[in-house]
Amino acid sequence: MCDICGCHTPDPEQTTRTVDVHRSLLEANTRQAEENRRHFAAMGAVAVNMISSPGAGKTTLLEHTIDILAGEMRIGVIEGDIETERDADRIRAKGIPAVQLTTGGACHLDAPMVHKGLHQLQHDSGSDSFDVIFIENVGNLVCPATFDLGEHQRIVLVSVPEGSDKPAKYPRAFISSQAFLITKTDLLPYFDFSLDEARKEAAALNPGLKILELSVKNGSSLDGWINYLRQLAKK
Amino acid sequence: MNQLCQLADEHGATAIITVRVSIGRLSGIVADSFSFGFETLAGENSLTKKAALEITLTEPVQRCLDCRLVADFSTKTCPRCDSTRLSPEGGDELVLTQVEME
Repeated sequence: MCDICGCHTPDPEQTTRTVDVHRSLLEANTRQAEENRRHFAAMGAVAVNMISSPGAGKTTLLEHTIDILAGEMRIGVIEGDIETERDADRIRAKGIPAVQLTTGGACHLDAPMVHKGLHQLQHDSGSDSFDVIFIENVGNLVCPATFDLGEHQRIVLVSVPEGSDKPAKYPRAFISSQAFLITKTDLLPYFDFSLDEARKEAAALNPGLKILELSVKNGSSLDGWINYLRQLAKK
Repeated sequence: MNQLCQLADEHGATAIITVRVSIGRLSGIVADSFSFGFETLAGENSLTKKAALEITLTEPVQRCLDCRLVADFSTKTCPRCDSTRLSPEGGDELVLTQVEME
């Protein structure tokens, strides 16, 4: 660059030059995620990003959570799927505002999508104020772990039929989460799922991880999860 | 690619020669797939057509939560205090580190 006038005429003496950059290639997502986090906070909401394989029971757990907590806190849900409105419809059937984001093929949500969902949620519900907003990510234990959505808490779920080796096989999801839910524990007698293995391997990856076991078939097993959400909503 | 074209513009360059990227082992990014995507996209733009990609893979480390020692990622227990409470740090980046242009 010309030092005198600042124009972009290249220096004829210097044909190649090396520029140090050190900028994240996920910078655009990270910037939007920070903005989302401020947006959630301004609404008074704690944002919870739920990550799991397809079929681990994210939507079913949300339905049961809503049954218990809808009377004491304002809940909103942003659903991520490749196709269909089905999950949002299940949440709306409970009388809770829900926005469905369909990615049309992408295997994860990103911060710009969630930003759009957030505005849609405010528009559809006519409310700017929530206590908890759940973001149910696209069913996938891999890519969702790479994308910050601006959530305050990240929860990873593994159901008993999937096997207790999941923390060791998909480490990033467990390293980047604050809580790990082992779901469908009513099926433990029928599967070779080792609670000890799952707990130990998850704790080895992330010693601060809160680990809870639950089954929606057994209401009292949800107590730990419900108390965890109450604590979060209070903050 | 947008970042690269912006950089070239800022520095008045007409071609990008080398792009250096650092990818962490825990980033969830597969270096081979990243290279494949880079080649495909770079070929579509006259600024980046000649660009070579150099990837440095970075390893995470582990911090002992009991004595705070930083240890190798492969170790299972803390070499100083024997604790098993080792927490991974770093190795999750996807960073554009350096660009050579003319």
